Amino acid sequence: MSCEELANMYELYALGLAEGEEKMEIAQHLADGCQACRRGVHQALALNSLMLGQVDDVKPRARLKRRVMAAIGVRHRSWTWAAALAAACMLVVALWLGEQERERTAQLADARRELLEVSADRDHMAAALRMLDQPDTILVGFGKGQPAPPKGNVFVNGRSGVLLIASNLPALQPGRLFEMWVIPQGGAPRPAGMFQPSANGMGFNLLAGPLDLASVGTIAVTVEPEAGSPAPTTTPILAVPVAGL
Amino acid sequence: MRFLNYLPALLVYGLLQVLLRYKDESDLARRLKAREPRAMEDLYDRYGRLAYSLIYRVVRNAAAAEDLVQETFLRVWNRVHSFDQQRGALGPWILTVARNRAIDYLRSIDGKMSAGSLELDRLENPALFSAFDDSALSIDRARRLKSAFEKLNPNQRMVIELAYFEGLSQTEMADRMKQPLGTVKTWVRSALKALRDELMEAASA
Repeated sequence: MSCEELANMYELYALGLAEGEEKMEIAQHLADGCQACRRGVHQALALNSLMLGQVDDVKPRARLKRRVMAAIGVRHRSWTWAAALAAACMLVVALWLGEQERERTAQLADARRELLEVSADRDHMAAALRMLDQPDTILVGFGKGQPAPPKGNVFVNGRSGVLLIASNLPALQPGRLFEMWVIPQGGAPRPAGMFQPSANGMGFNLLAGPLDLASVGTIAVTVEPEAGSPAPTTTPILAVPVAGL
Repeated sequence: MRFLNYLPALLVYGLLQVLLRYKDESDLARRLKAREPRAMEDLYDRYGRLAYSLIYRVVRNAAAAEDLVQETFLRVWNRVHSFDQQRGALGPWILTVARNRAIDYLRSIDGKMSAGSLELDRLENPALFSAFDDSALSIDRARRLKSAFEKLNPNQRMVIELAYFEGLSQTEMADRMKQPLGTVKTWVRSALKALRDELMEAASA
């Protein structure tokens, strides 16, 4: 076939649609270096490109570019929204865990403090019980037969100290506590410990340690600021004489 | 025929992209041959949307179109070493690869493979896309081609559609249209001649 006869087939040839003898003829002309056919196929490729470009515009999804780049081994460097969301979630979780840890630490400190307080109370109570068990402990009652006074007992022991157990104690104003005093005969009152009554007016205070019974005249209780006072600032609500025991 | 309804409304968006970007492509081709990943990003930015539009036009399936776009660009990446960076035309090459991948996909789901695939593969050789004259892809020629296409009669437009976007040979067109092969060949040749003549006229103007 001549180049003129093949001229109408170049476009189909370039599209891979030429058939039979015409296809073989064009291939042969090209293989033989036919410049007319070569030029014709080039022009056909241009026409085909112009035709193929005339399609409706359809926007692909953004992720297609990442897929294409991944296909040649290039990973997208910027964060995707999903990665950013995951990072944000991780940050929130980290902050939440940090807050939880702080709360747990505070709770542990509170528990440790309470444990120490309970432990101190227990030691205090154990010392009081030991003192009560001692045969040389002297019991002095107070308030019995009075109209509405505090009532109770004072236990005195020269080796162990003074234990006060009282009931019918008056209610305290906020910021106030009871303070026990050991008042020597002819001397100034000495602070002997602060205590707070229970809801039913019971009070308990122990001054642990050796005590010179010969010099002690009175055990008294006053109402004082919760920080304590170096000397009584109010009239005693109770005063128990212990001199000469 | 339903697909004929689309053609009058076809836009020249993609076509203009090809034409406007043709001139500064030698540097892009050089970078692609140097295996610069950034060049591949630029190539996708230029032709990704057009390639997707063309492939979607052929396969009418978004997921398959994405797979075929990926395959198209991977082929270009793997074969660019034999592309003529001084005289080659990236746009026509990519469009041809994209169209052939889509046609090959259509044939595979129709159970028509092997020989046709090899033929398409041969026609994607980058060496074929060198020595393109700048004027061959001018905007004026594109406009004239579109106008010439719209002047074709319905049978001529149909055979052009079947060839370019469905990959049917003239024998297959005759089967599809239930027309004698000779008649179909006449429609194909007259349609292509009309398009070709319009481009020749544009070139000489």
